[in-house]
Amino acid sequence: MRPSEPAHPLLRQWYSAASPVDPVLDFARLAGQIADFAAYRVEEDRAHAGRLDRALAALDDCAPGWETLRDRAEQLSGGPLRALPRTRPDGCHTCAPRPATVTVVATDGSQIFPDRHVDPACYLLNVGRVAIHYGTLDPPLIRAEPTLRYRQQDLADLAEDDAEASPLDVTSEVVSALRDELELRWLFDTADEERRSGREVVAMADGTLIRWMLRGMKNRRLETQLLSRYVAELDRFREAGIPVCSYVSRPANAEVVNLLRLHRNEPDWDPAPDTLRGLQDRHVFASRLEAGERSAVFLSRSEVLKQYGDHRIVAFYVHGCAEVGRVEMPEWVAEVPGWLDLVHAVVLDQCEKGGGYPIILQEAHERAVVRAREKDVFYRILARQARGAGAEAATYSGKAASKRAPRV
Amino acid sequence: MSTDPPPVAEVIASSTREIVAEVYAEAEVPAFGSWVEVGTDDGTVLYGLVSHAETGSVEPGRQAVALGADYDRDRIRREMPQILELVRTTVRAQVLAYWDGQTRDGGRPRVRQTLPPRPAALHDRVRPCGPDAVAALAAPFDVLRTLARHPDPAVPADDLLAAALRNLHAAHGGGPDGEAVLVEAGRALARLLDDDHERLQSILRRVR
Repeated sequence: MRPSEPAHPLLRQWYSAASPVDPVLDFARLAGQIADFAAYRVEEDRAHAGRLDRALAALDDCAPGWETLRDRAEQLSGGPLRALPRTRPDGCHTCAPRPATVTVVATDGSQIFPDRHVDPACYLLNVGRVAIHYGTLDPPLIRAEPTLRYRQQDLADLAEDDAEASPLDVTSEVVSALRDELELRWLFDTADEERRSGREVVAMADGTLIRWMLRGMKNRRLETQLLSRYVAELDRFREAGIPVCSYVSRPANAEVVNLLRLHRNEPDWDPAPDTLRGLQDRHVFASRLEAGERSAVFLSRSEVLKQYGDHRIVAFYVHGCAEVGRVEMPEWVAEVPGWLDLVHAVVLDQCEKGGGYPIILQEAHERAVVRAREKDVFYRILARQARGAGAEAATYSGKAASKRAPRV
Repeated sequence: MSTDPPPVAEVIASSTREIVAEVYAEAEVPAFGSWVEVGTDDGTVLYGLVSHAETGSVEPGRQAVALGADYDRDRIRREMPQILELVRTTVRAQVLAYWDGQTRDGGRPRVRQTLPPRPAALHDRVRPCGPDAVAALAAPFDVLRTLARHPDPAVPADDLLAAALRNLHAAHGGGPDGEAVLVEAGRALARLLDDDHERLQSILRRVR
C-alpha cells in the first residue's frame, strides 16, 4: 500500500471544523485515508467498465447456443452458482400496461429482538400489511399486526421431536427467520381476504424468497423446520391460485455473471486479470434493458432451493424508473399464462408510483417499522403490566443499566 | 342546546383559551369564523370560534409530495388511496363562551360570554353551532372583547372578527334581521377598538 499523499488543505480545514473538545470521529486524521479511497475508486471504476464490456460480449456470444450452455451449467457440480436461463438469456421483454383494475397486496416486517440484558426473554414481531385495489374506489387496507412471543412453549415447538434438543436459544437470527415466515403468512392471508372476483391479485414480498440465511444456523433441526414451514406457505399461494413474487432492490446476485464466466471457460476460483468476477447481474442488465423492459427468466441454483420442491425460485431483472431490480417468484408463477406479464406490469407501475421502489412495499414498511422511542415505550409498558400483575421487576444487567443512564 | 348536528371533529389538544380538533374524514371542515360547540362530560358546553384550519400528514416525518399534473382527485382515489388515509385536517377554535348546562333564562340557556372554568377534555366531540346557539352568542358581544383586546398572536384577529360578523349576518338569515345584528355588532366593535376608525373600516370592508 503506498503511503498517503498529503490531503488537500481544504479537506483538513473541513474535517477539523469539529471542536477538538467534541467526542467525534477524528476526521483530520482520516483525511488522508479518505483521499486514498477516492483514488482507489477511480481505479476500480476503470476495471469495472472493462469487465462490463467483456460480460456484454459474452452475453451476445452465448445467446444463439444458449440451451447447450444451460445444460452444461446444469450438469456441472461444484463451482460458483450459475443461473439457468429459461429462454434466450439476452432477451429483453416489454409488457402491456398494467390491467385497469388490479389488487396488489404487500407485507413487510419488523421486530424488537429479545434484549439479552433483560429477563425473561421476549420478542415482538410487527408485520405491516397493505392491500390496494388499483383503478377502483374500494378502500385500501393498511394495518400493522403486532405479535408478542415469550412462552417457552412457542420456542420449544420449533424444535419438536428432538429429544436431545436443549432449550432453544432465541437468537436474532431465529427471530428474523420467524419474522420472515410471519410476513409470508400475513401476505397470503391478506391476499386471500382482499381478492375480489373478476380482478387479478398480485402478492408482493420484500427482499429475496430464497432462504439462504436459514442454512448455517446452529440448529440443523430448526433449519429444516423453518424451511419446510416457509415452503408450505408458498404452497398455499399455489393452491389458492394467487401469484406471489418479491422485489429485491440493488440486487447483489451474480448467478448470471457466473453463467457468462462458464461460457468464457474462466477457472472457477482463480481470478485471471480479465475475469468477470466482481461484476453483478444488475450491471449487465442495466446496460442492456431499456426502461420498462425485463430480462429473461433465470432459475437460481442456490443450494437451499433443493428443499423447495415445486417452488424453486426463478427471477427476472427489470429496469424500473430508478434502478435495475430483481423480481423473484416460485417457478409455477412464471408458468401460468399471463402471470409473468402481470407481475412485470405491476412491478413497473409500483416502482413508478414509488419513485424507484414499489410504493406498496414502502407503505407496508412504514407500518411495520418499530422506532427507537417505540421500543422504549414497549419496555416501559411491559414493566408496568408486569408490576401490575405482581411479577418481579425485570432485572437489567450492569451493562444495560449503564446505557440507560450514562454518567458524566 | 341542540345536539342534533352530528359531530364533525374530536378534541386532540385543549387549553382554557383554545381547542385543537381533528376533523373526521367524512365530515365537512367548519368554516373560518364560524362557531362550534363542545359538549363535556359534566354537561358544560363550550363555544369556540374557528380561527385556523390545517391539512397535513398524520405521521411526523412524512411530507406530502407533488404527484404530477395528471393526478386529479379521482385518480388519487383510484391509484394512490393510501395517501388519503394518511392525511388529516385539524382546526383550532378560540374558546370564548360557555353554558353550564343548567342555568336558563325563560327556557333559553344562559350563555356566559367569557372563558370557561375548565378546558374541554381530549376526545370531546365538536359540533357546528345551530342557529339558536349563534343567536345566543350575539349581543352584547362580549365574546369579541377577548379577541379584540387580548388576541393570541397566532390568531389573525381582524380577519377572524370579519368572518365572525359575516357568519353572524348569515345566521340571522341575511336580510333586514341580519343587517340589524350587523349594525349592533359593528357598534360594539367600534367601542372595543377604542374608536380606531381605520381598523374598524378595514374589518367592515372585509365583512361585505
